[in-house]
Amino acid sequence: MKERIARSAGCDQFDAELAAYLEGESRPQVVAHARQCGYCAATLSDLEQIRMSARELPWEEPSPAVWANLRAALEAEDAFRVPGDRWAWLGHLGLLRHPAPVGALASLAILGTLFTLSPARLEPVRTSEAGLVAGLGENAPAVMSVDEAAWARTIHELEDTYRAREPFLEPELKVTYRQSLDSLNGSIRECLTSLQAEPTNTLARDYLLDAYSQKAELLTSAIEFSGR
Amino acid sequence: MPGRERKPVRSRLKSTIAVRQAWKWGAFLLLSTTFLVAAEPKRLEKTIETIQRPRVSIANLSGQVVVKGWEKNQVHVMCNLPSNRVEVDTEVLPAAGQAEKIHFTTHVLDPLATGAEEMADYTLEVPAGANVEIRNPQGSVRLEGLHSDTSVESVGGRIVATDVSGHLALQTMGGDIEAIRPSGRVEAYSITGNLHFVSPATAKLRGSTTSGRIVYEGDFVSGGDYTLSAYSGDMDIVCPASSSFELNAKTVHGKVDNRLPLTSRRHAPSPLSPGNSLLGTRNTGNATVELRSFSGTIHIRPQL
Repeated sequence: MKERIARSAGCDQFDAELAAYLEGESRPQVVAHARQCGYCAATLSDLEQIRMSARELPWEEPSPAVWANLRAALEAEDAFRVPGDRWAWLGHLGLLRHPAPVGALASLAILGTLFTLSPARLEPVRTSEAGLVAGLGENAPAVMSVDEAAWARTIHELEDTYRAREPFLEPELKVTYRQSLDSLNGSIRECLTSLQAEPTNTLARDYLLDAYSQKAELLTSAIEFSGR
Repeated sequence: MPGRERKPVRSRLKSTIAVRQAWKWGAFLLLSTTFLVAAEPKRLEKTIETIQRPRVSIANLSGQVVVKGWEKNQVHVMCNLPSNRVEVDTEVLPAAGQAEKIHFTTHVLDPLATGAEEMADYTLEVPAGANVEIRNPQGSVRLEGLHSDTSVESVGGRIVATDVSGHLALQTMGGDIEAIRPSGRVEAYSITGNLHFVSPATAKLRGSTTSGRIVYEGDFVSGGDYTLSAYSGDMDIVCPASSSFELNAKTVHGKVDNRLPLTSRRHAPSPLSPGNSLLGTRNTGNATVELRSFSGTIHIRPQL
């Protein structure tokens, strides 16, 4: 390394502006000073050499441990949380690497907020839209509340994502998810049929909301797990 | 050397080739042995000094996890890894002195690993007061003798908790859940699995399954609050004749089959038909029991 013989005011200004110059900002003083000062010229040359070499290094995927630790640190700081999600823990190993599941989680979170704020959530929806997006038959919409219709829409979107990712699930997990989904789909169908006959049956409505909630959580979990 | 006959060139060449062949085979065998050793099941065993109530977590993928409480302020772990495609990371905090937090994480080293290759079996002894958190999506979990908060989450695994006195939170989508003599708060959720509660001594219990069956065998603690919900599965409540509780049982399309004499209470206006709901008091009604079902049958009967 070169020994600096005499430090000038130009050297101080060079030091002060060097970082900004290396980050791409226009700092003519840096180049001008480097032409006059051998020590600073060598420093600049070394740093540019390192920067160029670094650009040629291959991109490396961090190990799973890094992601796990990152997630644990974020969790510890309460940086993110899924409201009421019973199964969301399953995606811990790869949440940040997979934007689709993160989107799914975000939609659940938004939905949860909407439900909390919705003043007329128990009023039945009389349009056919809700039932059609839920894919639950022509008769279903007449008995769906605002909450249920919102759940149905979210679940419909989650199901699309799940279907695309299902092939990547471990076979055993796929079977478990499939059986659980069949069970929940059956209960949703029966609850809707029941509500069609008895719209005031609060127990059936409670079961329907429970089934929607569980299905959304299950799909979110499966989507995340498929990206592991 | 005098007296020693020189070998002909061809013979010396043969000897040299033979030596070289021997080296090659030796090296081959050595390498093969090395690979075989690497492919053999791995076993991790260690003991970690801890505080009295450390936090212990296990994030596994598949395989059996057994956690038992003991009186020592130590965590002893034995982990069997049948495949070399997974590894176990142990994180101990703080790094020196008695551990306050210990995290065990199973990592898949080979993205192509599937099924049994991802398996890791854990057996742990932990301080009985430890807070334990287990995630084992494809494997079973067994807990024994823990006195603090314990949570277990799985996708398809069976969960059995015996003599746990802390808060017990158990969730599995497809597996069965069995809680034997729990004495702390209990929450058990499954979708297709069965729930089985044996001799609970807990004052707060929640259990829910969609298509599984629920069996509750035991008494209700005075002042206790019990809520069980099954969608299509049947429910069996088997309690001593001396049990004292307020009962609220209702089902949309199922039946309530009660064989315990109750003092009936008047119904609040309900869309459910009388055959689908039952409100009553057993003895002095010290505990509150709420049972609900969509299409399953709720059986309530005395212990014989």
